[in-house]
Amino acid sequence: MNRVTTNIIRFIVLVVVQVLLINHIRLGGYVHPYVYLIFVMLLPINIPGWQLLLSGFGIGLVLDLFMGTLGMHAGATTLMAFCRPAIIRIVSGSMKFDQTKEPHINQLGFAWFLRYTLCMVFVHNFTYFMLEGFSFHLVVQALLRILISVPVSTFLILVILYLFSREKKGKNKN
Amino acid sequence: MYNLIRFIQKHHFVILFLVLEVLCVVLLTLTQDFHRQRRINTTNDIVGGVYETGTRIGDYFRLGKINRELAEENAMLRRQLAVTIDTTTGYQEVISADTVYNFIPARVVNNTVNRPNNYILIDKGSNDGIRKDMGVISTDGIVGIVADVSPHYASVMSLLHTYSTISVRFKNDEEQIATLRWDNTNHRYGYIDGIPTHLKPQPGDTIVTSSFSYIFPENLMAGTVVELVKSPSGTLNKAKIKYSTNFGALKNVYVIQHTNMAEIDSLNQLQLGNE
Repeated sequence: MNRVTTNIIRFIVLVVVQVLLINHIRLGGYVHPYVYLIFVMLLPINIPGWQLLLSGFGIGLVLDLFMGTLGMHAGATTLMAFCRPAIIRIVSGSMKFDQTKEPHINQLGFAWFLRYTLCMVFVHNFTYFMLEGFSFHLVVQALLRILISVPVSTFLILVILYLFSREKKGKNKN
Repeated sequence: MYNLIRFIQKHHFVILFLVLEVLCVVLLTLTQDFHRQRRINTTNDIVGGVYETGTRIGDYFRLGKINRELAEENAMLRRQLAVTIDTTTGYQEVISADTVYNFIPARVVNNTVNRPNNYILIDKGSNDGIRKDMGVISTDGIVGIVADVSPHYASVMSLLHTYSTISVRFKNDEEQIATLRWDNTNHRYGYIDGIPTHLKPQPGDTIVTSSFSYIFPENLMAGTVVELVKSPSGTLNKAKIKYSTNFGALKNVYVIQHTNMAEIDSLNQLQLGNE
């Protein structure tokens, strides 16, 4: 129950932060950081597949409603959620860790999280900008946007995770 | 039947994934219908309410700037008033500006500039008399055209939109009309095309709305020429335009209500029927 409430609060906070704060960042029109992906990234590692997919679809759909892009974010986050188990397997290699917990930056280390975030953000941004580009016939610009937005999103996500990692540690002990 | 259930149980992850993705594609195709301009999405009251709350919070940090802008506008309006009273001979101007168009002030509650198709959400809707296809301006120049309305909010198709075309002309050459478009790159610049080669627009030349549209009144500021782009085939040139409106910092706008809109519409319908 506690875990569910934590995730619901995280969902709401991330949507508000993304919509009211991050979406107003504009640097030349190519930078689109999406930090709401943290929600899908931090779901417990052993979460049942259908919950993972529905969570991804859900937050994507809410973002779409706010940004007037019905289907684009939902499609990208659903694919990202679908790829998550595989990404975690590939990124971890032979590493052993507690499968029942949420992935945590202090526990799994910076290198692991950097690889994890990069992969997740890339899957999302690639799908999203391609959907946007194909809908509007602007593929070259879509590629540019991907190239610039992936590092920016990854950086912002890691900064946010570091800023809040101490607090999360306390929560996990409860 | 049992086998089917077993199959679904075994592959539920992939099946659910495919179902959700198909749903996304269906949603995408439903809403990407530009000709009908359907935007059921952002023009609803819940989303509008959240954006409005966000704008209200943000406004506290911008009170000084907003005050200054409004004061400047007041000053400009006073100047105009003075001019109108003084020039008793200019009766033609009075008719074209005052009797046909009505201006409804509105606040921008959400605005994007860095997407291929940008929309502006404003806090006035059909309850305030706003209808689809009305023009929207700021104090600096034209902004866009209303694309969709809900009771309390309206979604405005910004000039920064792939399908935005505005009929404009050079201020110093009444005859020469052109079409203002956006090339999806920078929110400060658009371009006009269809300039004959004998015409040499200079950097700094002003572009205003033409009289061939009843959405915008004539002579509204649209932008200034930055440079002439020669076409490779040597026929019709393009020109890069700097928008007079700063879309990045849009706060107060006016929706233009044409008081004879219904009449014009019925005439247009009649014409279409005859053709």
